[in-house]
Amino acid sequence: MSADDNAFRELLDDYVVECLPLAERVADAFVELERRWRAGEPAEELLASARGTLHTVKGNSAMMGLGPMQELAHALEDLTLRRGEAAAALLVEGAGLLVEQVRAAATGGDPTLTAAFLTRARSVVAAEASGPAEAPERRRADRRGGDGAGNVVRVDFRRLDTLLEVLGEGLIEHSAVVEAFRRVSRRGGAAEGVADLDRSIVALEKTMKRLESVVMGIRLLPISTVFGRFPRLLREIARGQGKRVRLAISGGETALDKAVLDRLGEPLLHLLSNAVVHGIESPDDRRRAGKPEEAVLELSAASHSGRVVIRLADDGRGLDEAKILAKAEAMGLEVRSADPAQVHSLIFLPGFSTAEEVSQLAGRGVGLDVVAGAIHGLGGTIEVDSRPGLGTGFVLDLPLTLAIVRSLIVEVDQERYAVPISLVAETVRAEPEAIHEINRRGVTLWRGDLIHVSDGGTLLGTGGGDRPPRRFYIVISAGGKRRAVLVDRLVGHQDVVVKGLDATLGRPEVVSGTTILGDGRIACILDPMRILDQRVPA
Amino acid sequence: MSGDALLRFADALGREAAAVALPAPAGELHLVTFALDREEYGVPVAQVREVIRVGEITRVPQAPPHVRGVTNLRGRILPVVELRSRLGLAPAALTPRSRIVVVEVSDRVVGLLVDAVLQVAKVPMETVAPPPDEVRSADSDYLSGVARWNGRLIILLELDKALLLHE
Repeated sequence: MSADDNAFRELLDDYVVECLPLAERVADAFVELERRWRAGEPAEELLASARGTLHTVKGNSAMMGLGPMQELAHALEDLTLRRGEAAAALLVEGAGLLVEQVRAAATGGDPTLTAAFLTRARSVVAAEASGPAEAPERRRADRRGGDGAGNVVRVDFRRLDTLLEVLGEGLIEHSAVVEAFRRVSRRGGAAEGVADLDRSIVALEKTMKRLESVVMGIRLLPISTVFGRFPRLLREIARGQGKRVRLAISGGETALDKAVLDRLGEPLLHLLSNAVVHGIESPDDRRRAGKPEEAVLELSAASHSGRVVIRLADDGRGLDEAKILAKAEAMGLEVRSADPAQVHSLIFLPGFSTAEEVSQLAGRGVGLDVVAGAIHGLGGTIEVDSRPGLGTGFVLDLPLTLAIVRSLIVEVDQERYAVPISLVAETVRAEPEAIHEINRRGVTLWRGDLIHVSDGGTLLGTGGGDRPPRRFYIVISAGGKRRAVLVDRLVGHQDVVVKGLDATLGRPEVVSGTTILGDGRIACILDPMRILDQRVPA
Repeated sequence: MSGDALLRFADALGREAAAVALPAPAGELHLVTFALDREEYGVPVAQVREVIRVGEITRVPQAPPHVRGVTNLRGRILPVVELRSRLGLAPAALTPRSRIVVVEVSDRVVGLLVDAVLQVAKVPMETVAPPPDEVRSADSDYLSGVARWNGRLIILLELDKALLLHE
């Protein structure tokens, strides 16, 4: 009995996994359909594909006995035979409803939510338009539209996590072998077989790297899985604001680790709604400014040497520098530079929102500092660029994955730490005379600017006491902030497998995780973003 | 009785007890006992996964004061709680007898640094009394009781409270 229950639940899970993307694809297609109808562009192909997808959803829903979804899909199929604003609006609404229902399939669907819609839909579909004939070509077209379904095996993501864990242990053991080899060869010199061993280690390293890229590749999903729901959501937001916005998406095939993707949707959506609510002007204002009434919001992704860059640009009014400066003054911030980039980056500070009215979607206390925090939490950076009257652009720079981080290993008072290399701008030999003290704060001249120098021991509480001066500093740089941290030794570079922080360890500010080094010792992974944010002690 | 044999026994017992939902003769308490300062403490065998020697412990910056750091347990990162500090005892240097008792509480695996592991004991329930009023204080709820048994005094720990799991 309970085995049957479990089997049914598994089937339901499968249903959601399969049908949710289909429903979302239909919903997106209808948003595009509405645009094309309005613009008088051809939409037949789009319609045919959407009908085929709907048919699949209808069939699967019927098989699972999910009446509300089945009826919805059927009603939408019928609606696609109509034309005009009313039909288009109903299609978009209905598809949104379908997405919600499919997502909540575990509860069996809610006929009370769909009933009202179905009544309206049926009244639009004229009596003579009976259900459309189901041409088999459509279904095939839909299949072809999928992503090479024949070669796909569905794997529980947790298994990939396990695989990655095993790989991580392999990587650690490899580092251990390298370390041991180094010690042996230093002592034994040119003993026979040393060269062979060296070659084997190099070969093993290549194999591990390949294995790593294969495993990581499996974990990667196209960013379109996140972008996918934006056109529909954006349309809702724009309509609520009485604005006309077209979302132009590119680079949706760019792949990212699922763990990153899962945490990217919210901040991106926040930026999108911000752009619509605050950035983009009303159609009247746009006409007066000589712009087309329909605003364009460009969202693009591209991968670039192990990182992914996401850009979001609107063609709205741009940031209001005067307002930002006034707000900064009201908050008691000293703005040292009139450099626009510096001024613009103030919007990422906590409590900073210049929006006059609190809107339902953006604003409401949740500011860009939350977005920036989320991006930083992913080991990424966010920057803003804006020109008055022309628009605002955000650039997000994100790591491909959270699981393995290329790091610089440093030593402070005999303790080793891993510093994610993406945010290390430079490592510098610390000449004592190059470090000055101003107002009891260490500073040094770096690339023409005075930057703050912190002692690594003080920052990390190593309790080092009396010691010789530290020999190096590393410069951490992100989002226009920079800081130098003094360390004793630069140990080397290593791809570290990130392990989390157990809750027993509390919430250390400067540490984001732990990792196991080649010698089996554990090192804490420093969180450069949080170090940049530290209130200058030492 | 060699210490290591004892430890393996404790380990095996722990697994068994955890697996067989404790059909122990009613009225007996299965404990792993260990020394801290001059007292003997006990935790339920079912919560003990294993006992390990103290390897290298890496300090974690800004961790709570009673956390000694993390250690490498066969590729897993194990947080190590300094039980002396948690129980308000004076700190002590590590000795060859120092051990880490690996416990599993509320789905979390944590190492307890203790001075020495003493015994796996079956203690009759009737020897256990609630902690005397005299030793209770506002933050003493990690004491679940005291067993007086064979002329010994074993202090029973409520692990999830001792580890501040519900902060």
